[in-house]
Amino acid sequence: MAWEYSEKTKQLFMDAIHGKPGTHLGEIENPDGVGVHGSISCGDAMKFTFRVAKNEEDPTKDIITEARYLTFGCTSAIAASEALCIILESRKCTPIEALTISNQDIVDFLEGLPEQKIHCSVMGEEALNAAVLDWAKKRGVSLTELGIDVKQHEEEEEGRLVCKCFSLSEPYIKRKIRELNLHTIPEITDAIKAGGACTNCQHAPGGLQDLLDEVWGTGKREQNAGQNFGKNSLELPILGESGSGSPGEVTRSSSDFPAGEMSPYQFSKKVETVLETLIRPALLRDGGDISIMDIKGKIIYVRLSGACANCAGANVTLKGHVEKILKDHVDNAIRVIQV
Amino acid sequence: MSRPSLIYVDNNATTCVTPEVREAMLPYFEGLYFNPSSMYEPAMKVAEALKTARREIAQQFFLEESSEILFTSCATESNNHAIFGAGQANFSRRHIITTQVEHPAVLEVCAEMERRGFQVTYLPVDRHGRLDKKLFIQALEPGKTLLVSIMHANNETGVVFPVGELARITKETDPEILFHTDATQSVTKRRISLSENGAPTEEWDDFRYVDMLSCSGHKFHAPKGVGLLFIRRGTPLRPYLIGGHQESGRRGGTENVPYIIGMAAAMKQAAATHSADEKRIRELRDYFENTLLENVQDVEINGQQAERMGNTTNISCHFIEGESILYELSAEGICASSGSACTSGSLDPSHVLRAMKVPFSAVHGSIRFSFSRFTTKEEVDRILEVFPRIIERLRKASPYSRENAVKELKK
Repeated sequence: MAWEYSEKTKQLFMDAIHGKPGTHLGEIENPDGVGVHGSISCGDAMKFTFRVAKNEEDPTKDIITEARYLTFGCTSAIAASEALCIILESRKCTPIEALTISNQDIVDFLEGLPEQKIHCSVMGEEALNAAVLDWAKKRGVSLTELGIDVKQHEEEEEGRLVCKCFSLSEPYIKRKIRELNLHTIPEITDAIKAGGACTNCQHAPGGLQDLLDEVWGTGKREQNAGQNFGKNSLELPILGESGSGSPGEVTRSSSDFPAGEMSPYQFSKKVETVLETLIRPALLRDGGDISIMDIKGKIIYVRLSGACANCAGANVTLKGHVEKILKDHVDNAIRVIQV
Repeated sequence: MSRPSLIYVDNNATTCVTPEVREAMLPYFEGLYFNPSSMYEPAMKVAEALKTARREIAQQFFLEESSEILFTSCATESNNHAIFGAGQANFSRRHIITTQVEHPAVLEVCAEMERRGFQVTYLPVDRHGRLDKKLFIQALEPGKTLLVSIMHANNETGVVFPVGELARITKETDPEILFHTDATQSVTKRRISLSENGAPTEEWDDFRYVDMLSCSGHKFHAPKGVGLLFIRRGTPLRPYLIGGHQESGRRGGTENVPYIIGMAAAMKQAAATHSADEKRIRELRDYFENTLLENVQDVEINGQQAERMGNTTNISCHFIEGESILYELSAEGICASSGSACTSGSLDPSHVLRAMKVPFSAVHGSIRFSFSRFTTKEEVDRILEVFPRIIERLRKASPYSRENAVKELKK
């Protein structure tokens, strides 16, 4: 998949990574707000910090003066992080006002992002939100009193896990479906990655399609249900009914292994005994050795080691000596295969 | 800033067509464009050239019988042909064995076979990408298993499976189980003997028990769009492309004559200098890996403990993400690839590295360099100069490091 980034995205990435003056890579010590979004197992993560000019009388009038980030992720994840900091510093706004910065602002600043990279901009928005919550806590600002719903963030942490690959909960996915006006599973995946790896949660009960239906009150499965083909599909086998356990096979295996007097356990015990007493001593004398790797019906898989392992005559030893002794003493149907 | 000259180290993805191969093909675009199935004299010349190419390719596999070589459009077609064709030829067996690390051209065909009612065993690999022979033997079901399809060399890590031995064990267990191998990454880079009489020397891989082998021309300096499927005489197999008498009725469609000629030329050219090339490329790769390991912290070579192709190195750089590494490499004119999720088109990182249980902190930062016989020491030195700096820069940008990657940042 080739890169389809805007010039702006590429430029921001390069400037940031190469430490061009004025870029925002890094971490503020003792920050006034810190927020993390993503995780190393998901493939991208961002740690976002900011500093404010404190207003001693009214903390809600603090102004964000400086923003920094550390980002583990692809080109666009780093560019989106850089964009967020630029937007934030240029606005000279309060942390509460900063909550209005959306992922779309980041996308616009980057002059567009490929669809499957939209989640990079969402990561920026989420890390910023988390940092503002952190600031509010530190500064004793009650966001709830200001009419900002903090509870939902806590619920999201606790809520039922829907997308296990990316650790995304039901409350979070539902909020994002509403906020970003997502109507299909591919749109959800592009925006927040949910359902993008193992795909199991897409159509599972309580999965992404159910959440879409719940949020939008559609209640009907969309056309793209076909995407899920292949995972435990209900399609009927196309090639007739000759599945396992057909009568033909039973006859076959019973003729291979006639009902004898020995159980498989007794058989393997006897093989081991013969090997230990009649075969191994001779091989050990020649500086070699033999061990059983597996027994499948009357086929015995053995490993030759020591002098036998690379001996040109190993196959002769095996067929002429080992197999013959086992045939004579245990069962004439035995075959020995070297591993 | 002037654009740096291109360093192409993504030869497991595709290779350049050599001037010699191009020259060999040219007459069959212009003067000798005739359909090899036509009756007139000039067309017979084309048919003759096709026959020669088939014989020359058979000889590269140490084969007497050139009719066992079937020309296809690519290895993906060959794999589809082998697996679907085997399923259609024998309705009494419904079990297939493959591995978790196959190319999608085998893995997804096997998934399709499951939808059609087959049972498929996907063998796991260990931390270094190796198969467990005991698990392989346990999976074999005499009288029930239809097909074993196991790749020769892995495209992502270069890890080589002991296909010759696995095929022998299969056939000794039950001669009716078919054995197919996708040898796309190994053909011409290793000497493979498909002769029933065994390999000429120890240096060759002895594939006498292999029934079917797939490969693709563009991995060894022939053009894209041509491949082959070796089908041992007597192998029960139904055609895949139907609609013509070509290829003895086994594959419909007019033969891609110029490309087939090109594929034969590429094979011969590779064979002429095989031993010297193999040694030089392997030494270059080892030099690259050793230098990197000495100079950069927290990188590891995936599959290092296993037998590997000499041209491939798959490196995990902890704490950083592969797509941004590739982007920076590309800005320096270096073409490589990554198993990172961001480059896969889905959000899933490499299935091969996950099967090897490479930790998440390293899967996302995996980079594959694959050399060819045209890769030079100067190019490798240039990569060694650039790559560690890129790693260092991206690590500065990453919130993760040796200290805090294990415990997650959040809590």
